Amino acid sequence: MDRETLRKLEMLNQLSLTEAQKDEVIDFFAKRDSELDIINKIDTENTERMVHVMPVLTVVREDVASQPFSRDDLQKGAPETDEGYWCVPKVME
Amino acid sequence: MKLYTAKTETSAENKIVVDDMILTKDIPTTAGSKMLEGYVSLFEAEVLTRLNNAGYGLCGKADVGEFSFDLLGETSCNGANIVDGKLVNAAARIVSDGDAFAAITLDVNGSTRRAAAQSGLVSIKPTYGTVSRYGTIPVACSGETVSVTAKCPMCVREVLDVIAGHDDKDGTSLPEELCAKIKKGAEAKKAEKVAIIGDFLSCVYDDVKAKVDAASEALKAAGITVDVIDSKVIESARVAWNILMCAELCNNVSRYDGVKFGYRSRNFTNLDELYVNSRTEAFGETLKTAILFGSETLSTENYMKVYDKALRTRRVIVEEFAKIFQEYDAVIIPACSSLAYTEETLKNKYIAFEENLFTAPASITGLPAVVSGSVQIIGKAFSENTLLDLAKIVKEGK
Repeated sequence: MDRETLRKLEMLNQLSLTEAQKDEVIDFFAKRDSELDIINKIDTENTERMVHVMPVLTVVREDVASQPFSRDDLQKGAPETDEGYWCVPKVME
Repeated sequence: MKLYTAKTETSAENKIVVDDMILTKDIPTTAGSKMLEGYVSLFEAEVLTRLNNAGYGLCGKADVGEFSFDLLGETSCNGANIVDGKLVNAAARIVSDGDAFAAITLDVNGSTRRAAAQSGLVSIKPTYGTVSRYGTIPVACSGETVSVTAKCPMCVREVLDVIAGHDDKDGTSLPEELCAKIKKGAEAKKAEKVAIIGDFLSCVYDDVKAKVDAASEALKAAGITVDVIDSKVIESARVAWNILMCAELCNNVSRYDGVKFGYRSRNFTNLDELYVNSRTEAFGETLKTAILFGSETLSTENYMKVYDKALRTRRVIVEEFAKIFQEYDAVIIPACSSLAYTEETLKNKYIAFEENLFTAPASITGLPAVVSGSVQIIGKAFSENTLLDLAKIVKEGK
C-alpha cells in the first residue's frame, strides 16, 4: 500500500485522513497483507466460493406497491429538508 | 462510565437490555457512532417485537463499539468503559449487575462472546438464520447474528426460545422447520465426545488456560470424552473473516453520506465536501481503517487474490468443522486470550482484528457457539440444545 493508492481509496470511500492516520492505515494494511500467507497456504483450487453459510434463496415478494411510512416520517431524521425535499448544496454552477 | 445510551421504564418482571445495534422505535439507535447521533428508527427490530409480545420489557439500550467493530465497546463515540483498570462491556455489565435478565446484542466480531467470557456470563450466538436480523443495523451480514447473554444456560434458553423462528421480513431467515430445531424441547443429541482445539491454547494467558482445563474436567466428570486435537485450518478463520467482514462493512456503511439521515458536517462548500467531511468527522479511526481495507479487498486488483480467496477459505473451514463433527459433538475454543483487557491492551489500536482469532471460526461459518464457564463451545448447525446442555455442565458441573 502506497500513499497514492491510499489517496484513491480515500476518494472512493469519501474519506479524508490526516498524515498521521495515513501512516497508521498503511501499517494496518502491511500487517493484514503479511497475514495473507496464512490463507494462501490453504489449497482452495478445487473449492467453490461460499457466499452464504446456509442454503439461502433469493426472497421475492408480490409486486404490490405499499407505503409503510409517510414522506414526513422518512424525513424526520434528515439533516436538512425543505417542503418534502432533502437539501444538498448546489451541484450546478 | 456510560453503560446506557438510553434508559426506559418498564414494569415487566423480566427486563431485557438491547445493544445500540438493534433498532428501537421512538428511542435513538446510534450503533456507537457519531454518524447516527440522535437517529430514531421508524420501526423496531423483530427480536424486540417478539420479546415484548412474550412479556419482556425493555429497560434500556447498552452502549456498543462503533458498528460493533470493537474488542468490548471501546470504539464507541462515547469512549471506552474502564472500571478498576479493566475494559468493561456495557451490555454484559448491565446483566452482571442484575439490572436486566438478559442482553440482546448483534455479534459481528465476537465482542458479545468475549464479554460473556470475561464476565462469567452465558452467551449464545445461534445458528445463522435462526433468529431474525430484521431491524438490526447491517455491518457484516453474511456472519453477524443476534445473540443472547444472561446469567445461566436456562435463562439463555428461555430468551432464545422467544426470539428464534422464521421471519418473512429477513431474507436470510431459515424456514420454520429448521428454526424449530433450536427451540426448547426439540430433540437434542446428548454429547458424548468433545474436542478441544489445541492450536488456540498457545495463544492464551494462563487464566484462560485454567478455564479450559476446568471445563474439560467438568465434562470428563460428567462422563464425556474430551480429546485435544489440532486444526490449523480453523485458526485461519480470523484472516478470512477480517477480509469478508471489512468488505461487507465497506458496502454497508456507504449509505451514510450526511444527506438523508444521520450526521451532517457544517463544514462544506459543495456536495463532495459534504460527503467527505460528514463521513470523516463522524466515523472513528478504527472504522475508517476497516472501510478502506474492505474497499481495497474488493478492488479489481485484489478481488480474486484476497476477497475470492477468503470466500473459498470459508468453505474449507466449514468442511473442516464438518469433518471434526463426524467424530465429536462439539469443539471447545477459548473466547478470548485473557480474562481481562486493560488500557495497555488498547494501545494496540487494531487489537479487535487480532483477538477475533477465537471468535472468527463461528462467525465465518455461521455455526452456533455458546460461552459458558469462560470458554466457547461450538457445535453443528442447529445443535443449540446440545450446546446449552454442555454449557450447564461446564458452568454448574452437572
